[in-house]
Amino acid sequence: MTFEQHGENRFVVPIGPQHPALKEPGHFEFVVDGEIVTGASVRLGYVHRGIEKGAEDRTWTQNLYLMERICGICSHIHATAFVQGVEKLAGVEAPPRARAIREIFAELERIHSHMLWLGVAAHEGGFDALFMYSWRDREVVMDMLEMLSGNRVHYSANLIGGVKYDLTPEMTDKIREGLNYLEERLAHYLDVVNNDETFIGRTRGIGTMTREQAQLLGAVGPTARASNFAYDVRVDAPYAAYAEFPVEMVVAQEGDLHARFVVRILETMESIRVLRRIFENMPESELVTRVPRRIPAGETISRVEAPRGELFYFIASGGGEKPERVKVRTPSLCNWGTVITLAVGHKLADMPMILAGIDPCFSCNDRLVMVKRNRQDPQVWTWADLRNYGIEYYR
Amino acid sequence: MSTLEEILQKAENLLQPFAQSSNRPESNRLDVYLSRENLIPAVKALVEARWGYLSTITGIDRPAAVLEEGQTSEQGEIEVLYSFCSGAAIVSLRVRVPYADAVLPSICPLIPSATLGERELMEMFGVKVEGTPDTSRLILADSWPEGVYPLRKSFVPAARFSGGAEGG
Repeated sequence: MTFEQHGENRFVVPIGPQHPALKEPGHFEFVVDGEIVTGASVRLGYVHRGIEKGAEDRTWTQNLYLMERICGICSHIHATAFVQGVEKLAGVEAPPRARAIREIFAELERIHSHMLWLGVAAHEGGFDALFMYSWRDREVVMDMLEMLSGNRVHYSANLIGGVKYDLTPEMTDKIREGLNYLEERLAHYLDVVNNDETFIGRTRGIGTMTREQAQLLGAVGPTARASNFAYDVRVDAPYAAYAEFPVEMVVAQEGDLHARFVVRILETMESIRVLRRIFENMPESELVTRVPRRIPAGETISRVEAPRGELFYFIASGGGEKPERVKVRTPSLCNWGTVITLAVGHKLADMPMILAGIDPCFSCNDRLVMVKRNRQDPQVWTWADLRNYGIEYYR
Repeated sequence: MSTLEEILQKAENLLQPFAQSSNRPESNRLDVYLSRENLIPAVKALVEARWGYLSTITGIDRPAAVLEEGQTSEQGEIEVLYSFCSGAAIVSLRVRVPYADAVLPSICPLIPSATLGERELMEMFGVKVEGTPDTSRLILADSWPEGVYPLRKSFVPAARFSGGAEGG
């Protein structure tokens, strides 16, 4: 990740922090020789919010809401990783129906996340019709999430010890209807991705990563599975209800951008299949189990498969009201290393698509900095300041 | 397919020559306590045996305990966990370094992707990682003062949101 090997006569193209490819901030420097990239580096942190530090100052319940807000795309999976860890520390297990509902939310979230990505990645390649169609169709799954929880983004389905929302048969019927439509649309997108000549021209053989590279660079999730590096926490270490309602792992051999499209579309179809299975065999039980008021001292590691790959939580309790330490390692952080390496040898024009190819999520990585007032005195914002600012802004 | 127990047992055997002690905090986890000198050989043993992959590096601040007379019992330490995963099994290599000598060797020559974790460790906990390929800032702002490590317990943000008490 350094420029040392490129000598004196390097020409650096800075991209970002504003809008490097996605509409989130990250700064990249590409060293180019003509059109060809010969080196790359990344600088993150533009949207760090101090969440790991903040977690040490909040109660277990407050932290559930804080963790859900790490990411606006995969909010449910963060809360799931956190509550599962806390439940392990407390020595309780969520009831079967609650675990099934967690899986339903997680898979609906995966569908919306992968469709969001499909649109973004298509947009970066200049395929704006595909972008608009996939986002239009994504609204179908957003409506399902809103129907279940009342929310489009932070569903807040989890509680420590269970879930808040139940599914009625009318709801599952509605969701089934929507899934049928989405399945049809996804089959069409798969056809486009596999057969559209211009699309293939921009994806096949671009940003190829071998299985060995994926392993060495620490790739996770669909990015790794597209390079035949087969691991998926849902399969390897089932959580929620994945033991009862398993998913098939989707892998591809090619390891190029095209494979990343195929893997994500097939995974979305697999999510639809497993959702139907859950609806057919929905377990009956209460939704919440009793959790002791105090979380006993101890440490645990909670891993889940977020839409972008393995999400890792290390949670330490000192036996008090607040956690001692919460460490969050998000999948995007793992996948950055691959971009920096894969960029080399490609045209500068391919960079946006290669960047988008890992489905990076900046707010996931960036969790740890204070917001500062842009004035003479670099005083830190207080909660009251922020609140007043918000009220004034929208007045 | 080996069972979870076999996978953990294999790791335990690989790491046994370097371990100060080890335990099984949960059925799928093995914690191995190491001295700093044995970190590289232990990581090497796992990498060469192709045991799983490095999932993350976690820093934990262990400040000195304050005794009744206001004196501290021992000096503060940073504990670092190198967590490797293989299927459902998780092996954490645990190393402690004192504040006064918070130095660890880089594992990047063995696992290049460790660079992001090591940079985070340097910025957030003030652990010097010797031989890590890139020491530039990854996360903190350029204007962040030198020598201030936000994830140490001694770092207190200037204004804290305390559960809505401040006019929330």
